[in-house]
Amino acid sequence: MNVLIVEDELRIAKRIERMTRDIFGSTLQSLKHINTLHEALRHIENSELDLVLLDLNLNGDNGFDLLTKAVSESFHTIIISAYKDQAITAFEHGVLDFVPKPFNQDRLAQAFNRATAKEKVENSKIRFLGIKKKGRMQLVPIEDIIYIKGAGVYTELFLTDGRKELHDKSLEKLEQLLSYSFERIHKSYLVKMSEVKEINVSSGSKYMAELKNGERIPIGRTKYKDIKAKLL
Amino acid sequence: MRHLLYILFIFPLLLVTSCSQNEEPVFTRYRTVFQIGDQAEWAAKDLNDRLWGNRLELVPDGQIFWSRTKIDIHKSPEALKPYGLRLEAYGEYEVFWDGVLIGKNGNPGQEADLPPEGELWITFNIPTHLTNKGEHVMALRLSNYYYPDHIGNYGLRIDDYHDLLTDRLIQNSYMHVFAGAFLIASIYFLFLFLGNKKEYLTLIFSISCLLFFGLTMTHFVRTTIPIHYSLHVIRLEVITSLMFGISFLIPLYFSMQFPYPKWKLFLGIYTAVLLFIFSIEHHLFDLTILNMTLILLLFSLCIAAFGVYKKAKGALLVLLTLLLCIFIRHYVSLNISLFTGFSLILLNMLYLLSLRIKEQRLAYENSLVQSTRLRLELLKKNIQPHFLMNTLTSLIDWIEETPKKGVLFIEALAKEFDLLNQIENQTLIPISQEIALCRAHLEIMEYRKEVNYSWEEDGIDSEQKIPPGILHTLLENGITHSLPLEDNSVKFKLLFESNGTYDCYTFLTYAEIIKQASAQRQEGTGLKYIKARLTESYHDQWEITSEPAHHGWKNVIKIYR
Repeated sequence: MNVLIVEDELRIAKRIERMTRDIFGSTLQSLKHINTLHEALRHIENSELDLVLLDLNLNGDNGFDLLTKAVSESFHTIIISAYKDQAITAFEHGVLDFVPKPFNQDRLAQAFNRATAKEKVENSKIRFLGIKKKGRMQLVPIEDIIYIKGAGVYTELFLTDGRKELHDKSLEKLEQLLSYSFERIHKSYLVKMSEVKEINVSSGSKYMAELKNGERIPIGRTKYKDIKAKLL
Repeated sequence: MRHLLYILFIFPLLLVTSCSQNEEPVFTRYRTVFQIGDQAEWAAKDLNDRLWGNRLELVPDGQIFWSRTKIDIHKSPEALKPYGLRLEAYGEYEVFWDGVLIGKNGNPGQEADLPPEGELWITFNIPTHLTNKGEHVMALRLSNYYYPDHIGNYGLRIDDYHDLLTDRLIQNSYMHVFAGAFLIASIYFLFLFLGNKKEYLTLIFSISCLLFFGLTMTHFVRTTIPIHYSLHVIRLEVITSLMFGISFLIPLYFSMQFPYPKWKLFLGIYTAVLLFIFSIEHHLFDLTILNMTLILLLFSLCIAAFGVYKKAKGALLVLLTLLLCIFIRHYVSLNISLFTGFSLILLNMLYLLSLRIKEQRLAYENSLVQSTRLRLELLKKNIQPHFLMNTLTSLIDWIEETPKKGVLFIEALAKEFDLLNQIENQTLIPISQEIALCRAHLEIMEYRKEVNYSWEEDGIDSEQKIPPGILHTLLENGITHSLPLEDNSVKFKLLFESNGTYDCYTFLTYAEIIKQASAQRQEGTGLKYIKARLTESYHDQWEITSEPAHHGWKNVIKIYR
């Protein structure tokens, strides 16, 4: 685990650091603390990270600048903030969890567990996926996404208007965030269930999901039963 | 309010129409001829007066002279309804109608020896048998001791005797009610002014109303109080002077209501012109009054037009009213147009005042809301989540790690809450209290951020007062937007200087300033709070600057005396 803590209150940062070490134990590879927005942005650009713990109010700056950047990256983001009223917005942007201050180790462990145990998150609030486009951040509305295809460490988002966008998060991480409306029907595909019209069986007992726009997407053998049950 | 205004506007207009309704007169008056001397037969109806003069320049020493006026009666009076004769003439005299003495006004020829007697406006009863349809002669036996060069040109009216007497009383009663309204307005607005001596507009309006009341009373006093002709000029002087006062005050009022560039200069020029009109041909009172009204209307029109151009509230109404006044002047007599016009203008002024009072009330209500808002904002400082939750998180951590320090932390927190409670409902607090609040805050922040914060002050005058929370806000900004120096320290320094014109607080932060933050910092909510607090206590007599300095950050607050 490579963890970054972005927090401008030293006492709190130390507390998070201490607890993180306790929770992850030997699985923790690196842990860094940064206390300014600017430095954090630079660090994210140049480091391999698995998890970012982010405060939303840094030295009077709005942490959402960092948030939009963070959610477009390959790592998961957990918000640790005093502003509970911003939780919904944070979830809309696709954070893994929102830990309100003051917090204890149990609550932090619970949040970390989501990241490590690959458990699905019951996040019905997510509305956007952040993507990088020509060096700028762009938020793609979830309702515009039909299905997502895994492409190595990246993923491809297939949109209703026919466009295709690249996203830095892995298919596993997106599955965690999008489990509310998307289903992993194949090891390389995550499909929005509301877009599936029917399931066809073609020769060689290959199962295909036919989408409302006419596209056909393969269904994994092991997944077929689940998917069929969900469609009914 | 609007409806009331319309009614008030319509009233003077009704007055105009009712006053200007003149029925066809029952008589025709021919030329008056004069002769110095005193002969009883000059009263006779069929005297040959062809050699008499059309006018007399001067009849000195109260000598007796006679005048004769031929009059045609068009219609005989109805039974038991005699005609009356109303005269307005300079002098004391006896009146003969067709050779018969029908009335006496004073003691002609004996004015030098006897005290003044008689009235300038007087009504006589003409015996019915002398007013048959046809030609008649009115002869006056006069003397004019007081104005020997002012002879001739009488006002003369013949009508139903009863109507002649009552018409004027009725008109007079209306005008008294009218005048009374302005008297009340004058007193009311004078009291308003006494309650708020900065509101000069109410004073000007009050005086204008009083002058207008005086004008109306002086004008109509002739009906109720007998005025001897020797006093008439005094009455005219009073009227003209009142007019002068009104003519000065109305443009002054409009100038203050709709200010235009260099208005004092223009008003000065206007006053000079007004004085010029007032002084030349002063004895021609009607002309003077007419000219003063004209220039008043003209100047006020310019002001109102500029007000309309500048989109000032109520200016259009004033402009229309002034145009209406000119229109009225065109159609009715000077006197009637004067009273209607002025009452319309005064009503306008009243309307503008009411607009102003409404605005002031709204501003006051707004300021109350603003004060409450500021108070809440101050209270919120310590319960807003960023402060409270971060403090609690740190506090938990301290308690878990070193409970003793945790207790000290709680004590520091209690101190800040306590200080804040003491000041929350005040608009100005002693500077020492504000400094104590800052020190308490630093103590808390030291536990949270584990930075060595220090506080220094210089030249502080503990007698001085300052709005609550403004230094505290600067301190919060300083903490939020700065990183500690290499020795993990941040220093704040407060300097106070005072000279004849202002008090100056300089608040310095010695730290490493976070670069991106400086742009946002210019107009953050903190600075807005400070500005609102300064405005609340010092109106616009303050100045604040906030800028980077080589050591970190520098804030300067100047409060002018």
